Amino acid sequence: MTDAGLPELDPVIHAQARLRVTVALAGLRHGDQITFPRLQQLLDMTAGNLSTHLRKLEDAGYVDITKAYEHRTPVTLVKLTAKGRAAFESYTDALHRLLDATGGS
Amino acid sequence: MEDDEEPPMTAAESLNLIARQNERTRRELGASPARLLGVWAFAWLVGWGLVFLADPSHAKPLMPGWVAAIVVGALFLGAISYSTYYGSRVNRGIRGPSRRIGAMYGWSWLISFAALGLINTSVVNAGRLDPNTISLLWSGTSLLLTGALYLAGGMLWQDKLQYGFGVWIIVCGGASVLVGVPGNFLVLCLAGGGGFLVASLVYFVRQRRGGPAGTSEQ
Repeated sequence: MTDAGLPELDPVIHAQARLRVTVALAGLRHGDQITFPRLQQLLDMTAGNLSTHLRKLEDAGYVDITKAYEHRTPVTLVKLTAKGRAAFESYTDALHRLLDATGGS
Repeated sequence: MEDDEEPPMTAAESLNLIARQNERTRRELGASPARLLGVWAFAWLVGWGLVFLADPSHAKPLMPGWVAAIVVGALFLGAISYSTYYGSRVNRGIRGPSRRIGAMYGWSWLISFAALGLINTSVVNAGRLDPNTISLLWSGTSLLLTGALYLAGGMLWQDKLQYGFGVWIIVCGGASVLVGVPGNFLVLCLAGGGGFLVASLVYFVRQRRGGPAGTSEQ
């Protein structure tokens, strides 16, 4: 994978846990947000693990995390940013090009 | 990155992971209402089937009409409760347009069927309709409304299958009136319930095919 012609894979997304977080968030309908516990349930991750990965995605500008109050209870809402969605699309494009180039299926 | 304990994935592994998580997300967020439609298929097939078999025009009705009516009522109440549960579970933890649309759509069913019940009951009470006409009134209008709501659902979620199903149910509504009593119950049972069953199976197969090869649901 070091050939000059081969596409680079975005290191922020190319890690099992963060890839799964990204896929789950990309599966939301446009404009939707998801609460932290529901996202955790979709992914079967511990809260600590999910927080760590969300922070990395947020630092890269791929994820938007909002804290809000609903009936005086704090809720954490997560969504993919436009930048995150674009990054995920180019990541999957890169995967397909890699597969084509290496003849895998 | 220090926290990435996993070894790096190959492109194929990565695509496989994407497909698996995608399938799970879609299933949990309700992209595939196979089970919901299956519940309704059961209610229609069994309920209207019994009403048809209990019709007094048969030489040997299977059971008294009121028993069949109670069974239909119970089956439909069960299916409505399941739908409400399904809707709340699917949208749990989701904020934004989807949740709003889902809630508005759910209320549309309740509001329009409440009004339909009121209108039909008043019409029945006001006029001197014979029992057969009353039966046709109910099967025709409720199929029409059901179909129209599925048309709306198809438009909301850009789902051609759901839209097509709405068209089918509306056609059944027209057919039920044309065939008369007790054939209308057979239309409700086989064409209506059968329609739900086919739709349920199509979603089920689609869901299976959407997942990566060799990955079963659990």
